[in-house]
Amino acid sequence: MSKKKALSLLLSALLFVLVLAGCSGSGDDNESTEGGKNAGDKKTVKFMHLWPEGSSAQHHKIVSDIVADFEAEHKDVTVDVEVLSNEQYKDKIKVLSTSNELPDVGMTWAAGYLAPYVSGNKFASLNDILDSGLGNEFVAGTTDAYAIDGQTYGLPLELNIVSVYYNKKIFDDNGLDVPKTYDEFKEVVKTLKSNGVAPIALGNKDRWTGSMWYMYFADRIGGGELLTKAINREESFESPALVQAAEEIQNLVDMDAFVKGFNGLSDEEAKSMFMNEQAAMYLIATWDLPNYTTNEDVPQSFRDSVGYFPFPTVDGNGDVNSFVGGPGVGLFVSEDSDVKAEAKEFASFFVKQWGARAVTDVGVIPATKVDPNELDLPQMYEDVLNDLNNATNLTLYADVQMSSDTAQVHLDQIQALFGKDASPEEFVKAHEEALSKE
Amino acid sequence: MKVKKIRGHSRKDVLLLNDMGLNVMNKVMSNKWIIAIYTLPALLLIGVLIFIPLVLTGYYGLMDWDGIGDMSFIGLENYKNAIVDGKFWSSAWHSTLLAFFSTLSLAIYLMISMILASKLKGADFLRKIYLIPMLLSSVAIAQLWIKVFNPTNGMLNYVLMKLGIENPPAWLAEPSFVLFAIFIPILWQYAGFYILIYYAALKNIPESIIEAAKIDGASPLQIAYRIKLPLIKGIVKVTIVLAIVGSLKYFDLIYVMTGGGPNGASEVMASYMYKLAFASNDFGYGSAIGFLLLIITLIVTVIIRKLTATKDEIQY
Amino acid sequence: MNRIGYYLLYVFLAIVALFQIFPIIWLFLFSLKDNREIFAGSPFALPTEFRWENYQKVWDGGIGVYFWNSVWITAVAIILTVVLASMATFAITRMQWKLSKLVLGLFMVGLMIPIHSAIIPLFSMFLKVNLIDSPWSIVITYTAYNLPITMMILLGFYYTLPREIEEAAIIDGCSVHRMFFRIILPMTGPVISTTVIINMIYNWNEFVFVNTFISSDKYKTLTVGIQNFIGQYMTDWGAIGATLIISVLPILLAFVFFSNKVVEGISSSAIKG
Repeated sequence: MSKKKALSLLLSALLFVLVLAGCSGSGDDNESTEGGKNAGDKKTVKFMHLWPEGSSAQHHKIVSDIVADFEAEHKDVTVDVEVLSNEQYKDKIKVLSTSNELPDVGMTWAAGYLAPYVSGNKFASLNDILDSGLGNEFVAGTTDAYAIDGQTYGLPLELNIVSVYYNKKIFDDNGLDVPKTYDEFKEVVKTLKSNGVAPIALGNKDRWTGSMWYMYFADRIGGGELLTKAINREESFESPALVQAAEEIQNLVDMDAFVKGFNGLSDEEAKSMFMNEQAAMYLIATWDLPNYTTNEDVPQSFRDSVGYFPFPTVDGNGDVNSFVGGPGVGLFVSEDSDVKAEAKEFASFFVKQWGARAVTDVGVIPATKVDPNELDLPQMYEDVLNDLNNATNLTLYADVQMSSDTAQVHLDQIQALFGKDASPEEFVKAHEEALSKE
Repeated sequence: MKVKKIRGHSRKDVLLLNDMGLNVMNKVMSNKWIIAIYTLPALLLIGVLIFIPLVLTGYYGLMDWDGIGDMSFIGLENYKNAIVDGKFWSSAWHSTLLAFFSTLSLAIYLMISMILASKLKGADFLRKIYLIPMLLSSVAIAQLWIKVFNPTNGMLNYVLMKLGIENPPAWLAEPSFVLFAIFIPILWQYAGFYILIYYAALKNIPESIIEAAKIDGASPLQIAYRIKLPLIKGIVKVTIVLAIVGSLKYFDLIYVMTGGGPNGASEVMASYMYKLAFASNDFGYGSAIGFLLLIITLIVTVIIRKLTATKDEIQY
Repeated sequence: MNRIGYYLLYVFLAIVALFQIFPIIWLFLFSLKDNREIFAGSPFALPTEFRWENYQKVWDGGIGVYFWNSVWITAVAIILTVVLASMATFAITRMQWKLSKLVLGLFMVGLMIPIHSAIIPLFSMFLKVNLIDSPWSIVITYTAYNLPITMMILLGFYYTLPREIEEAAIIDGCSVHRMFFRIILPMTGPVISTTVIINMIYNWNEFVFVNTFISSDKYKTLTVGIQNFIGQYMTDWGAIGATLIISVLPILLAFVFFSNKVVEGISSSAIKG
């Protein structure tokens, strides 16, 4: 018996050793992923981005090229890259930050997303590299969205504006012209509706999509500053213009302007309805431009039939040169990085290289200055770049401006407003409450 | 120690066997060393990897923490907030509904398993087919059902319109339908899991018992209800607990298909917790919700086990 | 039962079968389409052209490494889970000790933890013991998180094992270990096959833990391969379909194998009858 007992003890012990030792053993492999402390003089900059090769081949390639170029110029630095898809990226950054393990360089979003990382002292101020010349590369004002109390914590990579894209063929078939005013816009909706065409593709499961509609009404009715001021607490969210904007949303819903079941559809599903000519209009930002210009996977006939127009004026109010939009992802440098100097160097190198190639290779409008005359771009890009040059106001997406928990209230309320679960008054009241709680 | 009847031995033998056997049995089967060797590895694993996180979740629930900066202790504030949080209770209600319907659906699974486990021609083949959906990841299942439920191009509404229903609902967009719409793929996804368990349990019933009943003239229904069901009672209880616990912390399909929407109409406890912790940067509050989820599950499980407990527990 | 009853039964069973088999067919068609067809057309429409290049794309994405990682991580975790769960269940149900009910309760509580509240504590723990970005963190996490459910399923079967077998074995002078490994384990073959199938499916499809604990490509698993095709603004659904088909095939084969074991095991353990 005792022999057997010893044997089984041994067996169990072995199992443990296997598990535990196996673990710490293979732990040795991950030295290469730990910032900065490698054998020899080589430093490692850990970089995380959200453009996987499978879905964003060109983005991925540019990033790889930039990394290779950087390593070639800086023989003593290796860049260790990790790629995750959008949602996984956000979740992982969250987990990493709880353990103080943020990558040396990574991607962030502006304003509300960035604020807790700044107040938690996780992101490094980038004023030094901006002041030493990099700042001039950016389109004026784009880095503001990443600035808190005069310090800038992110270097934007994209700049997008939101417009109404429409199917010229459907418009022609129904004898419609591009609407300049909201009244004309409503006529367009009515005509399409009575001819059995779904007027507007909207995927409001994602909620930021409906938010863009609301933002434009707020902008046109209450002026370009009102919504931002309401979010900054300089104005009340219960001001009449913001209530009226919510009413207009419900008017559109009552007119059946949006595709059936929009509150249960993702943006991707809505987009595909627009792209399969099942809906005539679609409000989206310029990140979608490749689909309407250069993307070879989309039939040429469809790409030729897409046009866009600025959101119309409402009752003579508003300025068509005032846009919803703003910078998208930007680069941050971790405050706790062991290789902060190299990380900043890499981030600044990245931004410069990215700006030069983003438009031509990927079709992304970078936040750095682009001269449309120097590049051979599709007409739609030139138009958009002109719009950007003439823009009088750019209102950053409401859910990005707000802090994360207020943003969740906003997004839920958007779904409630569109689904008529909340009246315009309830809608603004919920916002006012959430904003005043901060 | 109760004296057990042992078939095939005379009464005298049995007594003899028990006398001697019980002594040895008791000694061997209560050897502390052996018990330790058999349970400690598993206990250690769940202790470190489940219970420490569990305690930490409760602990984070006492904190005001965005998961990024410093945390500060706020006592039971988060738990107090949760008690008056309408959104939390509506998500808890949705989870409860899900648990209720999942438990009901066990009857369907059990019925199908009974049919499959009987000596029906082709039953083996059918059983394999029935288990296919459980092989797929939730990502795939969610995509499939999003397409089924699509209000304009979807299969379901296509069929309904062919049947003459003019304006079938947009299933995932209607607050009043969405929970039921989502329940169908969940029911379908888990069919294989429970059929697999029931099937193995039914196949475990000694053939002789069923043969004996047949000779006594019992109908298939009687055999199923009077003989098979009592014999697999233990497993049925286990599956009830699994269904309830699984439903109360269910997350996958709901998150992909509706994100808890529209406007919280399909929010469940786990998706609410996830949103708070990961999207709203309210990690302290999210942890408190996670901990409450666990407490609720625990209470429900204890109640269920009390309700299903019977005096004649089969313990040989 | 009469003839008509049988026909009705078969019709019913066939309809259910149709419902259960269609995801595989749908998934296969899906994997040969492009985004436009996937979103606009009926799910069962044939692709206008068979886009095998979706598979090419997936293959070029370096799925081989992921595949191998999935296989070995799944296998090691299953073996650990099933052996440890069987041992613990045996001790809890068959051996006599005061704390057995309490210990069983602990395992049951383990069933109830929502994984999203576990990942942040787990991450910081693994970080401390240098297990982040090591496949072993995944293996032991899978093992721990599947132990409770595996034990629950085993439990019902262990309770029904006749005590006579143990008595006979021990009177014959057999040690507990010998009895467990030579007699009890083989007798629970069918239910072990059941738990293997369930563990296999869980481990194979899991991605939250992998995404959180692993950052090097060389340790990632197949479910992460799927993430590769989800983009910031665009997602390549056809390629995702192809990845799903590739990843479901091995598990389908393994499933058929173990599913047969569920039945085979029973006939070989007919001792109980």
